[in-house]
Amino acid sequence: MPSTATGIYHTSYGSELRLRHTHAEKIRLGILVVALAVLPFTLDNYWLSIVNSIGIAAIGAVGLNILVGFTGQISMGQGGFLAVGAFTSALLSSRAGLPVPLSIAAAVMLTASVGVVVGLPALRLRGLYLAIATLASQQIIEFVIRRWRWLTGGQGFLDVPRLRLVGLEIPRAHFELTWYAIILALATLAVLGARNVFRTALGRSFMAVRDHEIAAATMGVHVTRAKLTAFALSSGYVGLAGALTAHYTETVTWERFTIDISVQYLAMIIVGGLGSVAGSVYGAAFLMLLPPVLAELATAVRDKAPFLSEQLPAVQQAAFGLVIILFLLFEPRGLDRSWRRAREYFACWPFRY
Amino acid sequence: MMKRLLTIAGAVMLLLPACKGESGGTDGKNDKGAGAAEAKKETAKDISLGVLADLTGATADVSRPYNEGMLAYIDNLNSSGGVKGRKINAMSEDYAYKVPAAEEKYKKYVQAGVIAIEGWGTGDSEALRGKVKGDQLPFMSASYAEVLTDPAQSPYNFVVAPTYSDQIRVALDRIAAESPNAKVAVFHHDSPFGNAPIEDGEKWVKERGYKLGYKTYAMKTGSTDFVGLLQQAKDQGATFIVTQNVSSPAATVARDLAAQKLNMKMVCLNWCSDELFIKLAGQAAEGHWMVQPFTPPSVPKPGHDTVRAYCKAKNIDLEAKGLHFVQGWYTMHIMAKGLEKTLGDGKELTGTNLRAALETMEAVDTGGVIGPVKFSAESHRGATASGVYKVEGGKMVEVAAAVTPKK
Repeated sequence: MPSTATGIYHTSYGSELRLRHTHAEKIRLGILVVALAVLPFTLDNYWLSIVNSIGIAAIGAVGLNILVGFTGQISMGQGGFLAVGAFTSALLSSRAGLPVPLSIAAAVMLTASVGVVVGLPALRLRGLYLAIATLASQQIIEFVIRRWRWLTGGQGFLDVPRLRLVGLEIPRAHFELTWYAIILALATLAVLGARNVFRTALGRSFMAVRDHEIAAATMGVHVTRAKLTAFALSSGYVGLAGALTAHYTETVTWERFTIDISVQYLAMIIVGGLGSVAGSVYGAAFLMLLPPVLAELATAVRDKAPFLSEQLPAVQQAAFGLVIILFLLFEPRGLDRSWRRAREYFACWPFRY
Repeated sequence: MMKRLLTIAGAVMLLLPACKGESGGTDGKNDKGAGAAEAKKETAKDISLGVLADLTGATADVSRPYNEGMLAYIDNLNSSGGVKGRKINAMSEDYAYKVPAAEEKYKKYVQAGVIAIEGWGTGDSEALRGKVKGDQLPFMSASYAEVLTDPAQSPYNFVVAPTYSDQIRVALDRIAAESPNAKVAVFHHDSPFGNAPIEDGEKWVKERGYKLGYKTYAMKTGSTDFVGLLQQAKDQGATFIVTQNVSSPAATVARDLAAQKLNMKMVCLNWCSDELFIKLAGQAAEGHWMVQPFTPPSVPKPGHDTVRAYCKAKNIDLEAKGLHFVQGWYTMHIMAKGLEKTLGDGKELTGTNLRAALETMEAVDTGGVIGPVKFSAESHRGATASGVYKVEGGKMVEVAAAVTPKK
């Protein structure tokens, strides 16, 4: 049984609804803020680029978790939604000349609407059936971006001009650093937004639908509205991640939005913890770090064990599957649960509970 | 206990790269990354190059020997003193034909301070095109997509061989000469690589006024048979199948063709025109045509001699490695010539100077293997001539050398 903090007495609803209650939580938040501020100055550009990719993935993973983890609507359409966000923002900014913040906002709105359309079957379908319906949306969107040549002007890909801030192009030397600031700000907003949604009636209605649809309806939850809002909200997040991908990588190609990506994002929220906002971030970090860390390890042992580094590609592919299996077996509630358990262990130390 | 272990392992995984970053973060040049082993040996005078290879992905069958050829060239060059006394330190990593992985490796190479990059696929070369331009890093890839030859659009991309479009033009000229009313089916890899010459081929048929029927068919990656596609081609009345794919799937098409007893002739372009296709298709490969810019080792040219001598010394069977090994070797040779010219002109080794050197250097003679390869500031299309081969007795037999699309 998890231990709980004692000695906290609330005298108002406001205080009870606070995101953080204990001193330890506030101290940890402080440490996190300092760590995030210092991070870009301790990493080289390569590792900073990986951190940036993690930030974008975290936004997408939070979005997917809203749908899958909090509302119980399984979705295999993540890749497709990312593509909608990326193409919309890229096209609006480079062809229609819209300023990038506006094009990103438009991408979020459009992806949210596409999400609602895709979510319509969710009113009738559940579980595996819904998963297949969303898989179909992934395939349809992928088909459109691959075959509809107007999108890319027949090139098959879109070049996105380097982002301009206050009229100036981001200089090459500070490229990763600037993007770190942008992504960190947006990811923080996304995480805080999601955390807060689940303190409202809307967020709680999502969870009620997940836990028992009929019971939720009996309690007065408008199930249809809850499901569609979850699809819209989730897709909006994913659209933001897609739009950021487009402007950060400066190229939009369908190869980045395949079914593999949908599976990878599902893996992120499974590994991180279904139904946990923080878990989505942990999962995104874990799965984005796995390949480069394995590559680093293989390079480190290259001289001593050449056989191992030769097998690296196979190991990398196997590691992905192995990680999922191990998590499902030993920690089905993901890294978020591991973190809580570690925290409790130290809080109670030297006692077991 | 197990859960606790997992908790600790998870925490270590999360912390590891951060620690790594701190240790190397102060000095980007003295970086780990792709070639930690090489980096240790690296001296200030070494020239760093990044290589992207597909060792495990959809095109690994042909990328492996190509990558080995490039590294062999560098090994050979370094053992004879390098470029103007400076050794080349090449980092080669597998990106499994995945665009995000290519981008990750690319950033690693940039961080490691490479002067240029030898890439691989079309999708990733196109995706990196903008970055290469921004970072001013000359980029030579094994993608011969026409879009990469225009310096106005892709100022830092260099294409050493005839483009896929030029290759399909040669194939269509040949088909039109042989059988003016033939119906042509174009079987292609379902990717930017496969799509690259499709429209240009169709345009060529129209422009030249050929009476050829032209229809395209996407080959799904991972398919184990292409009987369905062949039936569609049969309904089209196709007698020629131009194939823009790598050797393994192309060999499956050849075997299916033979099994279905269909009277169609394949015309393979660059990445399935090789010994591997013949080996995998066996008897079914007989009689098919190939358009291949690089001369295979089985058709000896003076340019093969250095490669053969190196292979002999290193106990490598060049015939078994095949023409893609030679292709990798000579692609790297052209890059090395650019580096040599930059240093020879007394210029500092920067991306911009290397680009200028590649654009202004003399045509590179490869002893008949390809080319001569010549770039200019107006065009980064290194060559336009391909060899045409026919499979006879399990060998690539040269039908015509240095064929360019009809003017």
